[in-house]
Amino acid sequence: MSAPPYSYSYIFKYIIIGDMGVGKSCLLHQFTEKKFMSDCPHTIGVEFGTRIIDVCGQKIKLQIWDTAGQERFRAVTRSYYRGAAGALMVYDTTRRTTYNHLSSWLTDTRNLTNPSTVIFLIGNKSDLKDQRDVAYEEAKQFADENGLMFVEASAKTGDNVEEAFVETAKKIFQCIQDGRLDLNATESGVQHKPSQPGRQTLTDQSPKPSCSC
Amino acid sequence: MSTMDYSELFPKIQAKFKFTAGENIVSIYEVVLLEGWVKTSRILSLIENCGSYGFFVFNVFRGSAGISDILIDYAFPVNNEFKIDVVSEDADISVTVTFRKVKLLFEMMTSEKTKSFISELHKISEISAEKENSLDFAWLSKYVNEATYGRSAEDNSQNSEVNGQLEDLPTGSELMVPRHSIARGTTPIAGRESAVRYQMTLKEKDYTYTQSIRIFVGTWNVNGQPPTVSLSDWLSVDPDPPDIYAIGFQELDLSKEAFLFNDSPREEEWLGAVILSLHPKGKYSKVSLVRLVGMMLIVFVREQHVAYIRNVATDTVGTGIMGKLGNKGGVAVRFDIHNTSLCFVNAHLAAHVEEYERRNQDYRDICSRISFPKFLPPKTIKDHDQVYWFGDLNYRITELDAPTVKRLIETNSYDAILVYDQLKQNFKAERVFEKYKEGRILFKPTYKYDTGSDEWDSSEKNRAPAWCDRVLWKGDKIKQICYRSHAELKISDHKPVSALFDSEIRVIDAIKYRKIHEEVMKKLDRLENEFLPQVMVDTTEIIFDKVHFLEAQSKDLIIANTGQVPVQFEFIKKLDDSSYCKDWLHIEPYMGFIMPGEKCDVKLEIYVDKRSACELNSSEDNKLYDILVLHLEGGKDIFITVTGTYVYSCFGMSLDLLSRINVPIREITKAELRNLEKNNDYRQSDPYAIPKEIWFLVDHLYRNGMKQHHLFEQPGLHAEVLLIRDWLDLGVPEHLRILCHC
Repeated sequence: MSAPPYSYSYIFKYIIIGDMGVGKSCLLHQFTEKKFMSDCPHTIGVEFGTRIIDVCGQKIKLQIWDTAGQERFRAVTRSYYRGAAGALMVYDTTRRTTYNHLSSWLTDTRNLTNPSTVIFLIGNKSDLKDQRDVAYEEAKQFADENGLMFVEASAKTGDNVEEAFVETAKKIFQCIQDGRLDLNATESGVQHKPSQPGRQTLTDQSPKPSCSC
Repeated sequence: MSTMDYSELFPKIQAKFKFTAGENIVSIYEVVLLEGWVKTSRILSLIENCGSYGFFVFNVFRGSAGISDILIDYAFPVNNEFKIDVVSEDADISVTVTFRKVKLLFEMMTSEKTKSFISELHKISEISAEKENSLDFAWLSKYVNEATYGRSAEDNSQNSEVNGQLEDLPTGSELMVPRHSIARGTTPIAGRESAVRYQMTLKEKDYTYTQSIRIFVGTWNVNGQPPTVSLSDWLSVDPDPPDIYAIGFQELDLSKEAFLFNDSPREEEWLGAVILSLHPKGKYSKVSLVRLVGMMLIVFVREQHVAYIRNVATDTVGTGIMGKLGNKGGVAVRFDIHNTSLCFVNAHLAAHVEEYERRNQDYRDICSRISFPKFLPPKTIKDHDQVYWFGDLNYRITELDAPTVKRLIETNSYDAILVYDQLKQNFKAERVFEKYKEGRILFKPTYKYDTGSDEWDSSEKNRAPAWCDRVLWKGDKIKQICYRSHAELKISDHKPVSALFDSEIRVIDAIKYRKIHEEVMKKLDRLENEFLPQVMVDTTEIIFDKVHFLEAQSKDLIIANTGQVPVQFEFIKKLDDSSYCKDWLHIEPYMGFIMPGEKCDVKLEIYVDKRSACELNSSEDNKLYDILVLHLEGGKDIFITVTGTYVYSCFGMSLDLLSRINVPIREITKAELRNLEKNNDYRQSDPYAIPKEIWFLVDHLYRNGMKQHHLFEQPGLHAEVLLIRDWLDLGVPEHLRILCHC
């Protein structure tokens, strides 16, 4: 059988973060199913999706963790940053407050991931042109100042969604090839050998010592 | 697999199938069968009867008391329609077993035992294929009839031309995915790698197309002569350049040095001569050159095909003196071009007119001994889609005297002579070159000439001319374009022979391949998603109303398995937390297993005691608040928020604080309490020497409890403790008349 490799050679872990209602789950759904979910309920917990993509001739399995955006879950979702190779930080171009919170999301990301984690800023809902509340240039400047990759995208039309996920993977792949990302580090967010379907559990799950109340 | 008790299996299988005399189990091995998307355990077994072997696939059912039942899934005769191939050796070894139109894929652990099982199977299948005619498989039919799927292999062979027949077989059909079995958790979904590989193999026809390539096969016994003439009259006489050249020489070097040390300057000389004479309209690359003493085989391919040539391997076999030495034998080159495997064999079989049996034996020896060990199990000649076999096969004309043969040749009556050709005779009797084909011979015998002329051998022997030099082939979709000799080349006592073929090879259509691969992946993604654990919880917010000190309250959380697979759930710790919930909360059970369609009631109990009260008292508000992470093994996480209002109590307050409050604690607001706690200047004019709560308790005991037996020795009644708590917190001492138990 002469054929390109049948299956993926890497698994990249992504997290999607950002304020409530900016469209994180819709972006994930658009990316994995190529469909827009119009009445997407708030995520209470962490959903995940996977898709295999082609980057530089390599098959890469993206394992994407879509976190709850509600402020009250913030402390809990911090558990999920560890070991992410890519972080998609999302704001809503039609709601300035979601943009204003970016620095706090960025601080969390920097503190909780490793230095080689690729952070990609996505301004979602770019289809709602007349409701724009954050100028492209302003966000672009914020991204540049902080060394983030950036696009405006629309989970509704699918515009730039694929690009954001794939560009992040390309950057991660580059880091692997440059040797900037150490595959042996436990928290690189990249696995080289494909594993069985399913996922690695993120947090230590040793049972609680028996409660003696 | 390792726990398999084979000793238990032997008698069970024997008893189950009432083995008759002569049938014995040769080997037995547990493997994983991949059907569609699922993996199930099976037992493979080889059973022998009078030299013929049956390959059995057993489905063994195990109960608590060991093996409960054994069924035969398949029973195949190990004959020339039976094939075993190792398709990959990653973490596990994947093996396909093919019988007629049935193809089964097995996974085995990588171990010595596996390897020996495979090579044993391989060896037996090889031996069996060779002595096909003598094997009797009648004994097997009773098992075939009993087999669950065996009949379909039989039926199918009669309609093998019907398209899509494969889809009706259990192996190719997705309907056979035992969903209920997956749902019960007894059948894991196959590993992604193997599932995709298997699906792609099934769909090979859909993403490959055939392309015709032209192959030039040449053979020449050069009688030890150096290349003193151009070979163009042999190698480039056609208008169009071939895609592949396979050129075989015999008696390239008759020197002792070549024979003893297999070292010959002639190799370079002839290679150079060949290169100079390849078709001028094509640019060629050498794929391989292999030589054993005087037998040399060179394969060239046009440059545009080089990128699609893979797995090039060579081997040589000597069948000469002592049956081993390289004066006779064969040399072979194999490779894959696109998706088709080719093997070229250049042979020089035993000489002498009467030795045709020896030649037949040489053929069989070459067949069994040529082996390409870069594959596991090693590939042999027969394991190729197309085989081209040529050389000085040395078969002669018997039963006709030389003058008759020469006279018939003059009238071009070749067919009349060929009736007496040993190769044709042995071929017809199926004693040699089974399943091979040869084109019609329309050229003069190629042996033996007086060197340098077109005259028949004039030596005293006066032998009859013969077609010693032949080209045969095996495989589908091969069309011979011409078969000829080249009398222009006179330096040897043989004339060179060549044949041109238009052969169809399978080429992967990259676009279709990608499309089908993507479809398979998507299907698998869908299946993977479909079989992700899915649950519904009746609520993600558990709200407790007022929570009092030492008073337990509980609420239920219902987790319903709404997916298709069993779910293993567990409440897991959050980052930096030491436990999966606050210490005032208790979850029972905190982990569990839910079958599809079933649910699990999880009890969440709040209980504030002396350990948690202190922290709750000093918290900003009186909120009990925790977020639980409900994790599904291999699936998503759900956050469950637990809230409640704690009714604060003097229990858990600092003595200092209590001594500064002169009213029951619930009569001051939480804000005041906090101020009091933080700000030591905000003092009540004069703090008590001891907190009034302690004073009340001691005073009460002093008044009413001095005669109480076992005072301080037995714990108080829970209901009374709660009354004391309320009395202290709210200041209604009347309730406490008789309570002196604590």
